[in-house]
Amino acid sequence: MLGEHQDSSTGAVVKILLSFDIDGTLELGDPPGGVTIEMVRRAHERGYLVGSCSDKPLSSQRAIWKEIDIEPVFVASKHQLGDVRARVEADAYYHMGDRDTDFQVAQEHDFGFWWAHEAIAEPWLSLGTEG
Amino acid sequence: MAMETKWERNSDPVGIWEHRGKVALVGRGHSTTDRRWDGVNLDQTLGAYSMVAARNAMEDAGISPDDVDGVITSPGGQPRHGRFGAGWAPRPYFDPPYDTEDGLTYVTAEWFARQLGLKNVKYLNSHGETLWNLIGLAAQAVGDGRCEVCLVPYPNGNLEGRYHQTEGLEAGGPAQWSLPWGWGLSGQGFIFDQYCRKYGTNHDRMAPFVVQERKNGLLWPHSYYALHEPEPFTEEDYVNGRSIARGLSIFDCDRPVQAAACYVVTTAERARDMKQKPVYFLDHTEGAFTPRSLVQTLDESEEWSDILAQRAYAGSGLRPDDIDLFSPYDGFAINAQYFLEAFGWRGVKRGEAHDFYAGDISLQGPNPLNAGGGNMGTGRMRTAFITDSMEQLQGRAGPRQVGIKAEVAVTIGVLPGNACSLVFSTSPD
Amino acid sequence: MPRPIPVPDELSQPFWDACNDGRLLVQYCTYCERRQFPPEPACRECGWQFHLTWLETSGRGTIVGYSVTHDSRTIAWHAEQPYVNAIVSLEEDPVINFHSNLPRVPVDDVPVGAKVEVDFIEVTPGQRIPEWNVAT
Repeated sequence: MLGEHQDSSTGAVVKILLSFDIDGTLELGDPPGGVTIEMVRRAHERGYLVGSCSDKPLSSQRAIWKEIDIEPVFVASKHQLGDVRARVEADAYYHMGDRDTDFQVAQEHDFGFWWAHEAIAEPWLSLGTEG
Repeated sequence: MAMETKWERNSDPVGIWEHRGKVALVGRGHSTTDRRWDGVNLDQTLGAYSMVAARNAMEDAGISPDDVDGVITSPGGQPRHGRFGAGWAPRPYFDPPYDTEDGLTYVTAEWFARQLGLKNVKYLNSHGETLWNLIGLAAQAVGDGRCEVCLVPYPNGNLEGRYHQTEGLEAGGPAQWSLPWGWGLSGQGFIFDQYCRKYGTNHDRMAPFVVQERKNGLLWPHSYYALHEPEPFTEEDYVNGRSIARGLSIFDCDRPVQAAACYVVTTAERARDMKQKPVYFLDHTEGAFTPRSLVQTLDESEEWSDILAQRAYAGSGLRPDDIDLFSPYDGFAINAQYFLEAFGWRGVKRGEAHDFYAGDISLQGPNPLNAGGGNMGTGRMRTAFITDSMEQLQGRAGPRQVGIKAEVAVTIGVLPGNACSLVFSTSPD
Repeated sequence: MPRPIPVPDELSQPFWDACNDGRLLVQYCTYCERRQFPPEPACRECGWQFHLTWLETSGRGTIVGYSVTHDSRTIAWHAEQPYVNAIVSLEEDPVINFHSNLPRVPVDDVPVGAKVEVDFIEVTPGQRIPEWNVAT
């Protein structure tokens, strides 16, 4: 089922939401970040709920997802991370970005957080059920 | 290096400009527009882009480098070589002519004249400020006879990183009165908050203005958005923008870019022999104001923009009904309204700007506000305001050409606290 | 949160010293009978420095407007975001205004028009700055 991910250690099926900042985080951003489209695609194909939470206009975010041929579960402005949590049901929520504002909105809305340089290691692939 | 003093028309009463109709804009040229300079590519420095813009401008005007006898520039597109980004000097330099910052991240008139091989220059001035003041200075210089055919490059740079970021915990000088309370762009939001309370409006009502500007800006081949973010920008996008400060959205802030433009300013007499239809200067007037106390208020924004408008009308001899095209600076977008209301373009009074935005401000409609798209539509080039005014009056704005009569254009920038207004006409009279 | 600390200069030292004593001063030109703040080298009206002195204020004012900073240019303030930036006008001379973060007021509930009273908070040992609270 879309969005389900089998935890590698327990085998339990969990839904994990990954929110990507774009500029400074994704390779398609401005400035480009280190998280590649390949990494995003891999997460999507493995059942993570992927979307973007960025300062880019919503239209631009949708255009980017269309360009990389992935249907996002959500697109949102950076201050709307709380709305994402309210709208999308998941077992764990994570945001990743390069700026203090990314960290702050993640904290404010109880998202786990990775800095952009940490996200390059695809830490979501080895998440446990605690998130 | 010549430095102008007392060129500004900023004392009341200004009176009709002594060179009204005797100076003309006759050419324009633009480089492409990047988001930022990568610090490596020498074809994309501000100097390189200024050269491209200058050659385009000279071609546009039908002149050769030997015709040029004056250069006036604003070196980095900011007053007094504004400091930007993480990549500022000192840096490793390159071979000449890129062996100093001059030509890399700012461009003096001297560097510019040398690189272009301008043999007949008698007047060089690198002390221009923001674009409107720079063009006003050029108009005055040509009118005064300091030069006859003047190139006016306007390089506007951006480097890696973010600028205007204040580090550290010591707040000395003017900062002692603001940083202990974290005051900054909140100043923009504060004035806008006062405006909304006074006139019973709200931030969402800015949306049609910014959306229209984006549409207009996409019609330039060298605008930042046309080149790099060409997707349409909607009202949904605008109202969902993140607040920088309450009342100031991220989509009210212009996008820093790396680009250059160049203009050719000459006498009305010389303009007759040049390629393009002359666009005559009817006036330039300036104003710089300081708040009465710690912070600028709405009352002051309105008072200062009223004074700027009064000077423009007094200096040009025009009235609001005479103005076909109006292009007030929009970086930040929430400032354009003070100018619009002060000038009373299309009869817009204080507090009515947002109602006006909700009407037809499209290019083919009766009120094509900021037909060039402003900074919201083109990025922080700033030059859309000048080039569009010029091209509209010359009838060569292409897909941006407005549907209404375009014989008189006014543009003003940058902010109510420090601005210059320029009045252009198809006729010298 | 460590916040930026004002660095007094020759002109502003009396103001910051008075803050440490719990007094809010503004400059006053005895010739023009005019207050000015922040302090300047000369009276803006008459252009002379000879008649400039310091005048203690009532310490009372009104909130005339505000913004809320969500993304500050001052890195030291990032940890406090979002925070209120209110402007208070002085009761006896509304042209004179002061900053306030309104420390006891929720970010989304600023009472514009409310009367406020000055208080002083320590930003570093030995230096206080004026702050304002809604009058009770």
